[in-house]
Formats: sequence, structure tokens, C-alpha cells
Amino acid sequence: MVGWEWPPHHTGGLGVHCFELSRELTRLGHRITFLTPFSGPFTPVEGVTFRFPSERRPEPSSAAPSEEEPSPASPSPVEPGVPLEYPGAYDEQPEVGPPESSAFSSPSRPRRPVTFQSSTETYNGWIAAREDLGAVDVIHVHDWFGTEGAKALAERLGRPLVMTVHSTEYDRSVGHPWEPILEREELGIRAATRVIAVSRHLRAQLIERYDADPAKVRVIYNAVRPTERLEEIDPTKRVVLYVGRLAAMKGVDTFVRAAARIAEHVPDALFVVAGEGPEFPRLVELAARLGVGDRVMFLGKVSDEEREILLAGASVFVLPSVVEPFGIAALEAMAAGVPTVVSKTSGVAEISSSTFRVDFWDVEEFASRIAEILEYPTLRAAMGAQGRWEALREGWPERARETVAVYAEARDARRDRP
Amino acid sequence: MRSLRRTGRVAFLAETYYHSLAFLLPPPELAEEVAMHRAVLAREFGAETIALRMTELAYSDDIARFAEAERFQGMLAEGWEGVLRRQSPTFPYSAAPARTVILLLRHYPLSDDIGFRFSSKNWSEYPLTAEKYARWLSETPGETLGLFMDFETFGEHHPAESGILDFLSRLPEEVRRYPRLAWATVDEAIGTPPAGPLSVPEIMSWADEARDLGAWLGNDLQKSAFEAAKKVGVLARQSADPRILEDWRKLLTSDHFYYMFVSGHGADLGVHRYFSSYDNPYDAYANYMNAMTDLRRRALDRLGVPILK
Repeated sequence: MVGWEWPPHHTGGLGVHCFELSRELTRLGHRITFLTPFSGPFTPVEGVTFRFPSERRPEPSSAAPSEEEPSPASPSPVEPGVPLEYPGAYDEQPEVGPPESSAFSSPSRPRRPVTFQSSTETYNGWIAAREDLGAVDVIHVHDWFGTEGAKALAERLGRPLVMTVHSTEYDRSVGHPWEPILEREELGIRAATRVIAVSRHLRAQLIERYDADPAKVRVIYNAVRPTERLEEIDPTKRVVLYVGRLAAMKGVDTFVRAAARIAEHVPDALFVVAGEGPEFPRLVELAARLGVGDRVMFLGKVSDEEREILLAGASVFVLPSVVEPFGIAALEAMAAGVPTVVSKTSGVAEISSSTFRVDFWDVEEFASRIAEILEYPTLRAAMGAQGRWEALREGWPERARETVAVYAEARDARRDRP
Repeated sequence: MRSLRRTGRVAFLAETYYHSLAFLLPPPELAEEVAMHRAVLAREFGAETIALRMTELAYSDDIARFAEAERFQGMLAEGWEGVLRRQSPTFPYSAAPARTVILLLRHYPLSDDIGFRFSSKNWSEYPLTAEKYARWLSETPGETLGLFMDFETFGEHHPAESGILDFLSRLPEEVRRYPRLAWATVDEAIGTPPAGPLSVPEIMSWADEARDLGAWLGNDLQKSAFEAAKKVGVLARQSADPRILEDWRKLLTSDHFYYMFVSGHGADLGVHRYFSSYDNPYDAYANYMNAMTDLRRRALDRLGVPILK
């Protein structure tokens, strides 16, 4: 598996996805070598071996029982590349404003293009050169970062390539994709025998924007792990919650504007924003300008445990994303029994019938829907119960089985090829 | 409808004007809504109504008492074995607490063969021909056989391409082949002497396995919405404003509550979406409650009661 992040350090859904998926795959009897540009630490999972640039080769005695062949070269080759340090560059969102901003004409994007360019190239070169993987049945790459290396590796080993797309550069950049990333996405989608999209909405995008062959794109949703439901914190308190990165694509300004509309009518409602990101200063300014500086709380990044506590005290969870390939935060809220209001384009809306779906630009409608949940306790209870059931009826075990089915398809498709 | 009326072969049934659940509300709501409906039938079609059919075929001993008080001679009800026990649905009965009211029971297997199954290709009897159906009718023992289904069965639930209209036009001649079969309107059939009294203490409908009102008032959303409607109803009547009263009555229509139907966890909401204009039952509830809240405010304004913030 050619990945990116891995818990305990992760900034988005991808790291959690790889972790949960890998864990279930090992339970089904599969073994995984996880390639990552980061040097760890890695939350250990039995059956998963980690490889990153410049790692020390494991001593023979301490090697995990695996099918890996011994290193072919007698002296361990000098590893090219340098492992990256957390926090990951994945959180590095383009500093672009709304579509009308001047960023449109500027192709340059991250603040560290040179570092970016050299680190991806080194990483991909390192992947392509892997000689220490032993018997591999399938190469599974997540998103764009390692597609070049994964493709080269798959070709050299004569094995099928499966690519999971969690989000696209179009989405992350809110319509202003950076060419080098776009190219790597296109390369992976073209080279993969099977492509997995995390929602139907994303699948359609891959077909329309990336010319992906519809016959090879499958949809496998994210899941959440069932957790103990924390005891509800004072149900009479009216708390509206957003958890996620503060990036342009997340549309958190809609949340703040809706807060201002609701505050006029529901004087005791409190709005909580948990997360960090480049939009933070603008959002604080916006809240102040709209006169709700004292009603919208910005908590910064929260831990998993803190998030669970926030969910236990929340009356409504809002996901106002402009684009949201899946939206695992909303699924986590559902699992905690919190009613959700999500933008219509969210992938999570595809698997829930108990969420309010609103156009991402429609501040009035967001405000109405949130206010309804705050005002009608019966509605809140019914949506919460149904949402929890929907979020937990299927989990990572089902997703892993679906993934294995795609692996098998990819293997057969490759075999059938003349 | 007027030309049908002129044939003299059609009976018009009384209902609640708003297709409502008014039978669950305190009097005189039900009587007023039924009177409105009868008045419209008389005005538009010159029809006199002697039989009553409640929304969603709801029926109970209490409703029978109401029918008797309103001088109805007959009512329709579901021919459900849950209340019939071993008695046959193919005989007329008299309502146990109101013997002047004759009950005609819906033969649900034969009614649903047309209403639900006609265009279902998975059905072992597909396609259903008029000839086959007439034979089934002839093989069913009894005196009266109630085939009661939605008006939309013919041309909407089953579109014309399904052959439903051809089926319907052929059926009379196929039925005529059997000397023991004859057509009757509801008004005619309630003249048949009843086989005995039938008691239905709890409200029975034609919906679902349980034949109760679960599809309309089964869950918390629906109960909460109906309770809100009841409360606002008191204000709407007090306001004596015909517009407010009319808007309130429109909100009593049973479909509003049906849209809020959430089957038990595990069931698919999609099945019920066919009949709903909402994305999901929560949308339906929120929209309903917003309308009811607004109506309440209008009624209070009319009554001169200040609103507390």
C-alpha cells in the first residue's frame, strides 16, 4: 500500500482510512507493506510493515514473520531520499481566495515549491526502486503523492495497480488545480487497473474531469468505528458544531454567516468551530464583522477525545463544504447521534437519509435547517437515532471486503489482458 | 365525473373534505368536514351520499356511531381477518354499536391483485387478464365482494401502457359470463341484509400488516406534529377567522403525516419516497412544524395575544 499519513499523526480522512482499512484487511488474512514518506511514529497493526525512505533495514532476528524475501544486495544500498517530518505537507492548502481572486492567473502555489518538487520526486523514485517487498499481489496507492512510483513498481513486478481517490486537486484547490499534482492524479487514474472513489459524486467527477473509464471506477464509502456513545452533555444547551480543517473548500464562512442569522432568533445558541487551517484569520474577522464574535468559538485543532466530548454536547453538526468528496466528520457526528446538516455535494449525503441537505451557498437555508433542529426536540431525537443507525449499520469490515473484491477484479482484469 | 354520474351506475361516497384524520379530533370537526364534502358532491354532481368512507379506510365502532348520527346507511371497512376472526369478508355486516349502518368489507387479496400487483412482473400470476380475474371472482364464495382501491390505480399507479385500462374495459363482459356474479354500487350493496353484527373497538385502516394508523401516527415525529395540530386547532377555532381555519384544516390532510413516516431501523425509507415530495421524513416534519408555528402566530395575533419572545 502506497500511502501518505498514518495514525497517530493525521490531518485528514486519508490516514484514518488507510489505518482502518489495513486493520480489517489483515483480519481477513492479508498482509500489507505500507510505504510512506514519513518516518513515523506509526500506531502498530499486526500484519502491517512500514517502509519509509532512509529507514534502517530490520535486523533478521526482529523481522516480523512475513513473506518478504531477503534483501537481494549484500550491503544494504544507501537509501535515496530523506523521510519527511510530521506534520504533513498535505495540510498545505493553496492560498487561494474565492474564484474571482487574482490567484487564478498565478500557477504557483505552495510556499515551498522546490521542497515539494524534490520531495515527491525522491519519494516516487524510492517507491519505484523497492526491491524488498517480497511477494506482492496488488499495489494499492492512495491519492496522488505516490502514483508515479506505484505505477513503475506495478509495471516492474507485473502486478495490478489499484488507486483510491479520496479527493481531487480540483476540489482541494476550489477549482484552481496546481498542474504537477493534477498530472500525478491523471497518471494514477490512467495507469490503475481499478480506481476506487469514496462517493458516487467523486466517481462522476473522475469520469468527467479525468476521463476515467467508467468500467473501472468503483465506489467504496468511508466508515466509522462504533464507539461508546458518551453521555449527552446538558441537552438543553443549544450547540452548533463544525469539526474540520479551515480550508476554502470547507465553506466554513457559510457556517459563520448562518450563525449570525440564527443568533438573531435563538439568543442562547452557541457555535463551535474545531479545527485549524489557512481560513482561520478570515473566519474570525467575519464573525467579528457580523457581530457574533462572542457567539462563535474557535477552538483550534482538537484531539480525537476532545472531538468526542464536543459531539456529546452538540445539538447539530454542520458540514457546509463547497466540495466534500466524502465528509467523514459528518459520519462521525451521525455515529454519535448528532443530527447533521450537510451540503448537497457531500459524499456522505449519499449514504444517509436522515440528514438535511442544503446547497453550499445557501446561507438562509443552512440557518433555517439548523434552527429547526434547535427548535424541535422531537426532530433532533429522531434524526439523531436514525443517523446513528445509518452510520453504524456498515463499518470498516464491509469496506475491507469490498476492497478485496476490487483487488480480485483488478487481478482478473490484468490476467485477461492480451 | 359528471357524465359518469349521468349513467346512474356510479355511487358517490362521503368523505372528509380535507382527506384528513379529523376522526381523531374533538367534535364538531369531523361532522363539519364531512358536511363540506357532501355539499360539494351535491353541488358539482347532484349526488346524494348515503354511504361513508373514511380517510385511508379508517373504521371503528366510534366512527360507526358517528355515521349513524349523521344518518349514513353504510360504511366501507377493511375485510381484515384480525377483526373478522373466522367470519367471511364476503358478506355485509351491521356495525355492532350502530346497527343501521351496514358495513361493506374490502376483499383485500382480490383488490390488491389489481391495486398493487397488476403490473408486477415478479408476480406468479403476471400478466393478469380480465378472463382470469373474472374466474377468480366467480370462485370466491359469499354474497358481496368489495373491490375497493385508489382512483389513481387506473392510469397512474399502473400507467396506461401496463394494460390496466384494457383490463378494466374487458372486465364487465368477462364477469357477465358467470351467472352468479353481478355488479353493484356501494349504495346498492348496502341494501343486502347483513350476516350479523361486527365489532371493531380499535381504529382499523387498510395500511400495512397491522392495519392500524402506524403509517400516519406511528412515530414520534408524527405524534408530535399531530399534537401540535390539535393545540393550534383550538386557537384556530377561537380566532373565528375562516382563512386561518381553512389553512389549519389543510394541514390535517393525512398525507402530511405519511411524509413523516420513518419505518423501524433497518427498513428502507426509499420505499415510501414514491409517495412523498420531501427528501426525507425529517424535512417533512420540519416544514410542517414551521407552517404550524406560523399558523399559531397568526391565530394568536387574531386573538390579540402577545407573543412572548
